[in-house]
Amino acid sequence: MAEPSPFLEIRNLSVEVAGAPVLQNVSLRVAAGKIHVLLGPNGSGKSSLLAAIMGLPPWRITSGAILVDGTDISGMSVQERAQLGVGMAFQRPPSLDGVSLSAFASALGAESRLAEAAEALDLADFIDRDMNVGFSGGEIKRWEVLKLILQGPRLMLFDEPESGVDLEHVMAIGRAIRKVVSMPDAEGRARAGLVITHTGLILNHVAAAQAHILAGGQIVHSGDPASLFAHIQANGYTVPTAA
Amino acid sequence: MGDIAVTEPATVLSNSERETLMDVGFDDVGTRAATGVLADSTMKLAQSNDAGVVIMPLAEALRTFDFVQDLMFSLVDPEANSHIRMVAEHMHDPLGHFVWVKPGAKVQLPVQTFTLLETPQGRQFTHDVTLIDEGAEVEMISGAAAPSDVHRGRHISVCETYLRPGAKCRSVSIEHWGAGMEVYAYSYSRMERGAQDQSLSIALAPIDHHESYASCTQLEDTTSVAQSICFAPGGTERVVRTETILAGTGAKSEDLTRMVSAGGRILNDARLIGAAGGTQGFLGCDGLKLGEDGGIVAVPALDARAEGAQLSHEASVGMIDSEKLSYLMASGLSEDAARDLIVQGFLSLDDAAVPSALKSHVTDMIARAKSGGM
Repeated sequence: MAEPSPFLEIRNLSVEVAGAPVLQNVSLRVAAGKIHVLLGPNGSGKSSLLAAIMGLPPWRITSGAILVDGTDISGMSVQERAQLGVGMAFQRPPSLDGVSLSAFASALGAESRLAEAAEALDLADFIDRDMNVGFSGGEIKRWEVLKLILQGPRLMLFDEPESGVDLEHVMAIGRAIRKVVSMPDAEGRARAGLVITHTGLILNHVAAAQAHILAGGQIVHSGDPASLFAHIQANGYTVPTAA
Repeated sequence: MGDIAVTEPATVLSNSERETLMDVGFDDVGTRAATGVLADSTMKLAQSNDAGVVIMPLAEALRTFDFVQDLMFSLVDPEANSHIRMVAEHMHDPLGHFVWVKPGAKVQLPVQTFTLLETPQGRQFTHDVTLIDEGAEVEMISGAAAPSDVHRGRHISVCETYLRPGAKCRSVSIEHWGAGMEVYAYSYSRMERGAQDQSLSIALAPIDHHESYASCTQLEDTTSVAQSICFAPGGTERVVRTETILAGTGAKSEDLTRMVSAGGRILNDARLIGAAGGTQGFLGCDGLKLGEDGGIVAVPALDARAEGAQLSHEASVGMIDSEKLSYLMASGLSEDAARDLIVQGFLSLDDAAVPSALKSHVTDMIARAKSGGM
């Protein structure tokens, strides 16, 4: 039986920033409805991979392809990718003075979803605050997840959604990620997610299907998230050997 | 003393005049404590609905109240420059508003005054005198405009404003002149012990050349918070000069200017002088350029002349941050929508500074300005 075509397929992707290579020949497949996790030491290329999928400058694809639901998005602009259904929760988003969460939701046409989603992420009191202005690290992470819920993309990229977040809110963020990724979009189509984690705390809540270790700009190992994270805790970012 | 009436005489303002005025904050006379409308060289309306407010043509005020002659050209020398000299040449029959908020009056509704230049290639020289007397409290809305079919003309104005001890004033001024007009506006104010002033100035419409100078002298324990936003599309040149003199112990001021250039040029020259000890002042000048054309120059100057004067400033001028654009576009907004949101945020005003009667109007003006709809 033929394997179903993945929702996200990355083929031999190489990426550079200002002429310096940051990813080499990365290949990855995420099926619709699934969440995958990226693990790896600082500087291994995890954030670069998400940025390259989102099409953010200054990351530049030098070879390979990124396919979303069968469409090659490698040459598309950020805006085109977002409109096709790619969205990202940023690790360090910019502050936007004067732009409240409600003004953003309104510009996105998502006012009706704001109150309930904000409540679920304990951000009900923030809807009149300016985006990321004066937010704590944890508040930024919760807002970034809320922002994705408002946007409702089919492919959701989360760059360290739990770093700097207190334990109580890690659970809220994890549940929100699991819920939003598992919920079909307005047209009944399944979504998918790719989550970077350093602490592994999010693994208890997001029900990831697979984890990948990135090292030196390459995926060096893929496997079961819980056992792979346990290996990393015991041995660092090494490739597990067969038992 | 001004007339006491609650409705506007139907024939005083034409429908097109009302429409032009509404764009700069006008509302029905019955919703305002007092209203003054000056069109070309005629005071079309000077009407008060509040016993605490006198409003009348300045020429009439000079004949009615002995003290008005001591207020006129008291804060500025009639020979100060060639423009002010032109206004002073009309001293025999001065054209302008006189507003007097009487001692202790707590005026509930806003006082509104407007100037219209209705004649193409018209030349207008106006002089307004405002006296907010001891302990009085008032909210003022002023506007200046030309009808949409009047593109060219010249307007020169002098305003003298007195806030007597303990007076409180919150004011908004909105301008929407013709795109080919030249405007020179000179404003002088004096705040006496304990007076408080909160002002907002909005100048978003295209104009060939607009030059303003505002000087405020603050005596003991006065507080002034001034915000201004200006927008310069291609072909617009704005020169904004301000001088705040903290002349009495305990005087505090905060002056925030936000400028957006969409191809036009803006010079903001702001000077803050700490002339007495125990004073605090802050200047904030921020400029946002939407493209390569045009320019913004911000020149904040601090001059501490007395020990204990604490003055500070922040200034920034730059293009729209590409990181912010990418962030918003990654969220599904188009580039235009992302730019609009950033500009709207940049020009957003402290809610407390905008009278509730004007909030939606001001928001709408900002939206129209950045989309080129003015």
